[in-house]
This record gives sequence, structure tokens and C-alpha cells, in this order.
Amino acid sequence: MNAWLAGTLAVGAGLLPCAAVALRAGEVMERVVALEMASVLLTLALAMLAEAMQRPIFLDLALTQALLSFGGGLVFARFLERWV
Amino acid sequence: MHAALAILVALTAFFALAGALGVWLMRDVYQKLHYLTLPCSVSVWFLCAAMFVAEKQKQAGAKVILIGLVLFFMNAVVTQATARAAWVRNDGQWPPREPPPPAPPEAKG
Repeated sequence: MNAWLAGTLAVGAGLLPCAAVALRAGEVMERVVALEMASVLLTLALAMLAEAMQRPIFLDLALTQALLSFGGGLVFARFLERWV
Repeated sequence: MHAALAILVALTAFFALAGALGVWLMRDVYQKLHYLTLPCSVSVWFLCAAMFVAEKQKQAGAKVILIGLVLFFMNAVVTQATARAAWVRNDGQWPPREPPPPAPPEAKG
């Protein structure tokens, strides 16, 4: 196991607290924060996994994830503000 | 070189995990929002440094810098939007209500 793979597993372990908050938090905005944190951690994990597998082309997945999580976070925030 | 790479990757994972634990342990949404900063503003630059240590290809380094910039600037915008949404859900309006003016002093005599 190289350093990149170990780092990927460590960052992936950070998804567990996010999942716990997203499943059990009492307020919906706390769940959104957990979702945003999970998106960021997933972006980091995808970038590290691309390097661990020696496939730099897979960095596009991390970049796409970062951009889509930006839009998703804004949409959640906007709709949870008043309408949902 | 391997030691530097391992240290940089470990720092990346450490700050990401610290942020995740902060989201888990803090009490309300405003406190939890602060911990988004750790992976977006610290971890990602350690990841960029690690990628430049490990990778000789310029294209991979440029993509990781782009990821870092997206996360860095996205964090500020999404955090503000989420905090504002949480405030509006609780308080009902934005901007926040003005505090009531102080009572005028009573006239003597």
C-alpha cells in the first residue's frame, strides 16, 4: 500500500462522521453541512485515488465532482432557505 | 522524497479528518460550518504540494491546482449561502432585524 492509497482510505474514513450527521442530525441545515463536507472529502479522495492508481486522467473526475458539488450546495441552500 | 510525500499526504488526511470530526461534534449549524474551511483551505494545498512532489507531468499538477482553486473559492460562497439559509429558516427574514432603539430618557420634574 503506498502513501496515496493510505491517504485515500484516511480521507474516506472522514465520510463516516458526515454520514452520521446526515442521517441523525435534528435540523435539516446541519444535514446540508454534512453533505457539503462529504462532497469536499470525496473530491480529495478522488484526486488521491487518481494518483494512487497512476491514472492522472481520473483527476477530471475530482474536478467534475468539485464543480458539481458547488452547484449542488448552492441549490440546496437556496431552496432550503424558503421553499422546502 | 518519499518521506516528504508521505508527510504531505498525512497532513492532507489529518486536516480533512479534523474537519469531518468537527462537523460531527459541534452543536449547531453555524459551528459546523466553520469546519468546512479545514479541507477546503488547508488540506487541498497540501494535496497540491504532494502532487507536485510526486508527479512530473505538468498537466496533472495544473488540474490539481484547478481543483484547489475551485474548492477554495467555492467554500466561501457555499458557506455564506448556507449560513444565510439557516438564518432565514430560523428568523424568517434577511437581512437580520434591527435591534429596537433605546428608550428615550425620562423627563425630570
